[in-house]
Amino acid sequence: MSQISTKDIDIKLLAGAVIGIGIGFAGLLIGLSNGDNAPFLGWLWGSAFWLSIAIGLLMLVMIFRIFNSRWSPVVRRQQEHGLAVFPWLGLCFLPLLLVALFGQENAGILWSWINPSSPTVDGITVADDVLHQKKAGYLNLYFFSIRLIFYFAVFCGLSYWMRKVSFTQDHDGDPKWTHLGMKVSAIGIPATALSLTFGAFDLFMSLEYQWFSTMYGVWFFASGIRSALAITIIGCLYLKNKGTLNGIYKQAHQYDLACLSLAFTVFWAYISFSQYFLIYSANIPEETFWYNIREINPNTGETSAWFWVSMGLIFGHFFFPFLYLLFYKNKINGARITFIALWILAFHLLDLYWNIIPGREIVPGAYVGYEARPVVGTHLFWGLASLIGIGCLCIRVVIKSFNSQIAEIVPVRDPRILDSLNHHE
Amino acid sequence: MSKLMDIKYGLAATFNSAKELYDAAGKVRVEGFKEWECYTPIPVHGLDAQMGVGRSKVPCFTLLGGVSGFCTGMLIVWFMNAFDYPLIVGGKPYFSPIYPFPVFYELTILFAAFGTLFGMFFLNRLPRHNHPVFEHPSFGRTGDDKYMIVIEIEDPKFDDEETKDFLKSIGGKSITMIREPIDS
Repeated sequence: MSQISTKDIDIKLLAGAVIGIGIGFAGLLIGLSNGDNAPFLGWLWGSAFWLSIAIGLLMLVMIFRIFNSRWSPVVRRQQEHGLAVFPWLGLCFLPLLLVALFGQENAGILWSWINPSSPTVDGITVADDVLHQKKAGYLNLYFFSIRLIFYFAVFCGLSYWMRKVSFTQDHDGDPKWTHLGMKVSAIGIPATALSLTFGAFDLFMSLEYQWFSTMYGVWFFASGIRSALAITIIGCLYLKNKGTLNGIYKQAHQYDLACLSLAFTVFWAYISFSQYFLIYSANIPEETFWYNIREINPNTGETSAWFWVSMGLIFGHFFFPFLYLLFYKNKINGARITFIALWILAFHLLDLYWNIIPGREIVPGAYVGYEARPVVGTHLFWGLASLIGIGCLCIRVVIKSFNSQIAEIVPVRDPRILDSLNHHE
Repeated sequence: MSKLMDIKYGLAATFNSAKELYDAAGKVRVEGFKEWECYTPIPVHGLDAQMGVGRSKVPCFTLLGGVSGFCTGMLIVWFMNAFDYPLIVGGKPYFSPIYPFPVFYELTILFAAFGTLFGMFFLNRLPRHNHPVFEHPSFGRTGDDKYMIVIEIEDPKFDDEETKDFLKSIGGKSITMIREPIDS
């Protein structure tokens, strides 16, 4: 077990985390005092990026477990270190929950439905809005708070068990841990699937509580797996080049991870298109506005800057990675696959931005009564600060896990380790 | 009445283990032979690279099939809905890349699958009912416990005596000339 980073990098990450989260948190306080929701949207965007990656890693680890897959243990061990971030991510979401619970007149600053007296775009209040009344059995503050705590309890508990069964086996070599891991995964996969689905509903979809899409949870799952695979590829290649995984992480592992990336690129496009397609076909105003504000200025009907972001997602987040990953050489060449993994992460960030930011802001004189938030605004500044801060925190936690001597480089006493080490195409 | 004749197909040499075959295959490649083949009872990992065989060309057929499927789907929808019999359905345009997308991608997948299957048949020269190597008296054992290398007479470097000596020098046993019977 070699040390991943020197003290120098550790201090830089700590500084990045303190400064980034400090700015983001200061933004939340400013926003709370003057009623500006931009810092909250930014904070949600920044934390959502790292949360989606962590959830993707958790799902991948459990999927590898439940299929008892032969090739994966070498890769799975690296992902297990990534699972250490969940308790910290829970802390990052805590300020949003605390504001919702104790924010008084600003409780609905991020999720407007939390405050019954929040005005709606139709000129009434949330309490009078039939679209909220019918959903109030689900979308109410107490149930919402319990759910948020439950989701993170599920994520933290499962990540704790996934790490425990794997790391303990390094010491005692008992095969019972493998069986236990499969059993926990059998319960954990549906539990995580439900938590991430309803988590996506609560955290992101309820930003516009009038809108609804059953595809939304699956979209979040697909995005999470894609970015988790990208991070896994980058991490494994980094460890290979550093020498830790040299000769262990083979071309065959690389190829299989890249094939999974290709598969989930198609899956993401399938889900994202299906959501658009159903809403386009049904053509119901309660649903179509969500896409309208991502294409046009609702007051003038002119193409807005969001249109280009949308096009960027279609071509940059689907067509380009899809065509790129079709080619064998792009999957096995270290530099080429690192490029597309970084590309996918960047576009995943844009995808979350596109999903979270462009809500409807009430503007009294406007033709339709509201305007869509612009692409570039203060939310971008606050968001980048939170993104970097929470990112530095998460990376630091993962590096600490790698350096803590808690586990071997690969699960040396896993029953499947020989198959994984000898994995070939 | 046709008289039974035969022509030479190639020289076969057998080996007793995967390792022997693997090492020998490398030497055959280095020697510069092009028209030759290994026959093994089990998959031998890395043999493709050892023989100098590149990656399969089937993906080209898959891509070709996929692209033609996508275009066919678009053409069908455009011809039927916008050209031959323009019809408004559900308030949607005559032609748009969005509402008929399921047709496009279903045909993309279907034609890509066709491309893969028939491309594989084409590249493997299938269907084929017989093969000259079956004439080798103990070819059946390459499905059991023997490994075999066959260098075909088609190869520009092939020479009855020299190739025989070469196969012997790389450790081949029971070197046999395979003769393919033909009607004349």
